[in-house]
Amino acid sequence: MSQVLDDFEDGEPLAAEYALGLLSPAEARAFEDLMTVDAGFRARYAFWVESFVSMTDGIDPVTPPTSVRAAIESALFGTPDAATTKPWWQRLGLVPAIAGGLIAALVVLAVVDFNMTPAPFTPTHTARVVAQDDSLIVLAALDPATNTLRIERQAGTIAAGRAQELWVIAGDGVPVSLGVLPDAPVTDLVLDDRFGPLIKSGVLAISDEPAGGSPTGLPTGDVLATGEVTVL
Amino acid sequence: MATIADIEDAIARMALGDRAGFATLYSATSAKLFGVALRVLNNRAEAEEVLQEAFVKIWRHADRYAANGLSPMTWLITITRNHAIDRLRTRKTAGGTMDEAVDVADAAPGPEALAVAASEGVRIADCMAQLEDRKADAVRRAYLEGETYQELAHRYDLPLNTVRTWLRRSLIKLRECLSQ
Repeated sequence: MSQVLDDFEDGEPLAAEYALGLLSPAEARAFEDLMTVDAGFRARYAFWVESFVSMTDGIDPVTPPTSVRAAIESALFGTPDAATTKPWWQRLGLVPAIAGGLIAALVVLAVVDFNMTPAPFTPTHTARVVAQDDSLIVLAALDPATNTLRIERQAGTIAAGRAQELWVIAGDGVPVSLGVLPDAPVTDLVLDDRFGPLIKSGVLAISDEPAGGSPTGLPTGDVLATGEVTVL
Repeated sequence: MATIADIEDAIARMALGDRAGFATLYSATSAKLFGVALRVLNNRAEAEEVLQEAFVKIWRHADRYAANGLSPMTWLITITRNHAIDRLRTRKTAGGTMDEAVDVADAAPGPEALAVAASEGVRIADCMAQLEDRKADAVRRAYLEGETYQELAHRYDLPLNTVRTWLRRSLIKLRECLSQ
């Protein structure tokens, strides 16, 4: 190292040569050792790197192909297969979403406490919406005569400051919100007419959302639980 | 258009393992970095691989960025440029590796580096213009083409030691000019 140093009065050209990549491997290692112990050499290196980098100012940006990003994400986060690149609602084994398909509309629904609605409830379809680890279990039953979806929370609570939103995903693969679930053990959701048919042929899912529900009209958080609708 | 603060914020989020930070940084900088890799390598397939290597490195070293005293684009471009030069040299099988260069400087810089960093961009062009054409050309070739002293000696048909001496003198001149 001292031999290298002896060649320079203040190490200045050395820092520049190092930044340019002109040093031999042995010299480069010696300079790296100097930088490790001496802030002055680090500062000289930083000075030169900042200076030289402006030689790239005139280089025009070129958009790389999308395959590069996929390869990077694969290297960093695991294989970007369908399981990670597609939204979760497209991974539920349904027909892939059709572009420009049904846009989730704002659903206005009445949430009525079960105990206050003693009307007869005769469900024809049901779904057990379950988390993979059973930490959340919600039973849903549809009575098409009254357009009522009865929700029974069998396990799981809502995280503080978060909401759980219930979705139906039918043939076109686009989730439609059925509303934000209350914490109550049993809730009846009175639905718009058009939801009955969707539910009968779909999958129900619960997603984690910000308080108040998804701000976008589509699920924004993790899927917490899913369940296929079956005929009773 | 992402600001310097946006890019620094994205790097900081990457340091915490936030994929959204990566997405932001990639969108904001990948085209410039790909342009740099293409300029050095003049080969699309190799430039794509270099961009990939560079972003993997940027992700893994994002936690060290805050301490290295470089402006964010300098750090990103330097990593990309060094990977591209390494690739170019592997192709030519000559010279040492650049890969570790930015890492070694990762410890806290002296105040000098921070003070000068902001003002360098504009002036290097002026200061390069004050060098003899051939010498400015040699600096550019070393930086953008990764040319070694040996290659420069061959190019200018001079003994290696002579090239090294005049290039060092040029660098000292450049430093003097940049420090004015």
